[in-house]
Amino acid sequence: MITLWQAVLIALVAVLTELDGNIFGENKMREPIVTGFLVGLILGDVTKGLVLGAQMQLMWMGATAIGPTAGLDIGTGGTVGAAVAIATGTGLESAIMFGVPVSVIMQFVNTLLMAAYSGVMLEADKAIEQLKIAKLTALHWMCVLLSAIKTFVLIFMLMYLGGDLIDAIVGGLPDWVSAGLNGIAALLPCLGFALLMSIIMDGSMWPYFILGFVPAAFVGFDLNMVGMAAVAVAIALIIWQIRSEQQVVAAQTVAVADDDEWED
Amino acid sequence: MAETTQAASQITKRDFRSAFWRSFTLMGSFNYERMQSLGFLYSIMKPLRRIYGDDEEGLRAALKRHIAAFNMTCAPSTFVMGISIAMEESFKRDKELDPSTVNSIKVSLMGPLSGIGDTFFWGIFRVLACSLGVAFAQQGNPIAPFILLLVFNIPNVLVRWFGLKLGYTQGSAFLEKLEKNGQMKLVTYCAGIIGAVSIGTMIAMWVSISCPLTFTIGEMTITIQEYLDQIIPKFLPLVCTLAVYGCLKKGMKTTAIIAGICVIGFVLGVTGLVAM
Repeated sequence: MITLWQAVLIALVAVLTELDGNIFGENKMREPIVTGFLVGLILGDVTKGLVLGAQMQLMWMGATAIGPTAGLDIGTGGTVGAAVAIATGTGLESAIMFGVPVSVIMQFVNTLLMAAYSGVMLEADKAIEQLKIAKLTALHWMCVLLSAIKTFVLIFMLMYLGGDLIDAIVGGLPDWVSAGLNGIAALLPCLGFALLMSIIMDGSMWPYFILGFVPAAFVGFDLNMVGMAAVAVAIALIIWQIRSEQQVVAAQTVAVADDDEWED
Repeated sequence: MAETTQAASQITKRDFRSAFWRSFTLMGSFNYERMQSLGFLYSIMKPLRRIYGDDEEGLRAALKRHIAAFNMTCAPSTFVMGISIAMEESFKRDKELDPSTVNSIKVSLMGPLSGIGDTFFWGIFRVLACSLGVAFAQQGNPIAPFILLLVFNIPNVLVRWFGLKLGYTQGSAFLEKLEKNGQMKLVTYCAGIIGAVSIGTMIAMWVSISCPLTFTIGEMTITIQEYLDQIIPKFLPLVCTLAVYGCLKKGMKTTAIIAGICVIGFVLGVTGLVAM
């Protein structure tokens, strides 16, 4: 199904998602909507790529790497998921069946590499001792290059050599397995949003959470995200105004209290 | 920087642009031992070489200082780079100063700046960019990826550029000022409000879990989902997300939760209790 050149291009999209974080300043080319679009271009079905991308995007909405404990490699996962679903002419179920394991396994491989790069730091120390600036630069870029090669080789092998296997797996899916994967697809987005909540929520945020949930739940899609974002900004501004006034008052109170002390 | 107050500054605009562009590669050699340290050093390399010129000892000491472990949200990291460059300049000028202070400043900035950076970049800019992207992508509109990249990267690039500038010209005095009158806390708090409202909205709009189960009692067909909708629409998405959030709060590992969701989701799907 997937030709040699398509496999090369898909592997390059995966490399792009790796470089997103490594040299492009986390510019978010790794997001499934972007990879879905690119994979769709390569395999000749942009619309399907975008729709699959949107579905996987929701699933991974909260999948952000914060601190050294990175979560999931959604870049390669989204790329492979979209590619498999489009190439086999199937839907979100097969995207999930391949995308989710790939995102977990690739993250594991990345972890191994990031551990290995610790050894590079010893070389960097030596280079500093000898004032070899060019070597420092080379070490930095060597890591970038190695990571890119790793992604290219693994994803290319999966897409090109694994083609028959993928076809066999996807083609032989009985209905009950599809229903099961559909169940997973229904529940997985919860994780994304729960992860986002764990960045932002604390006790005082629940009223705002309810303010966001209730209108959207009752009105549904007549209300769009931009509208709700505008409402959110308005609420934040109101709180901002109230709080900054309080701060000014508090500062004045402190100042007055100080004066009183002097008089005593 | 023409407008800089440091009279003795020899750093050129090109050096600054170099630090700006190189800051995009901060994560390139990320490793578990010193994290972004080599990327940080690589970013400020040209300004450092300009400052120390042919003072080999000084340069070597400076390089050693900045290969120390460093890790924070990427976009605002340029602010720390700016401060580091300014401080290195003053070390070169004034031998009395203790150069090790630059590392304590860096360490003290990592935490708070990452806290603010995570809230803004992961909690707000990414969510906003992705949700706008989803809205377009669901209709198959090819503008979706471009909207996503644009919405995220405008703040991403602006924060990098002005962070570098601000860090260099104002240094840590700027942060201290914000910390002192409590403004930074308030900004982060209000940003959190936007995030919380958006998350609530997104759960209602985009998590679709329904219960297709039906019972037939005599002539009446009862669909469970209809009853759930009468209590509160989007009841299942809300409950399931809160349940996962609870697991996270209890300290469960993400991978364990994924495994759990796959098992439970599969079983519920096969038995026909849950569908999209």
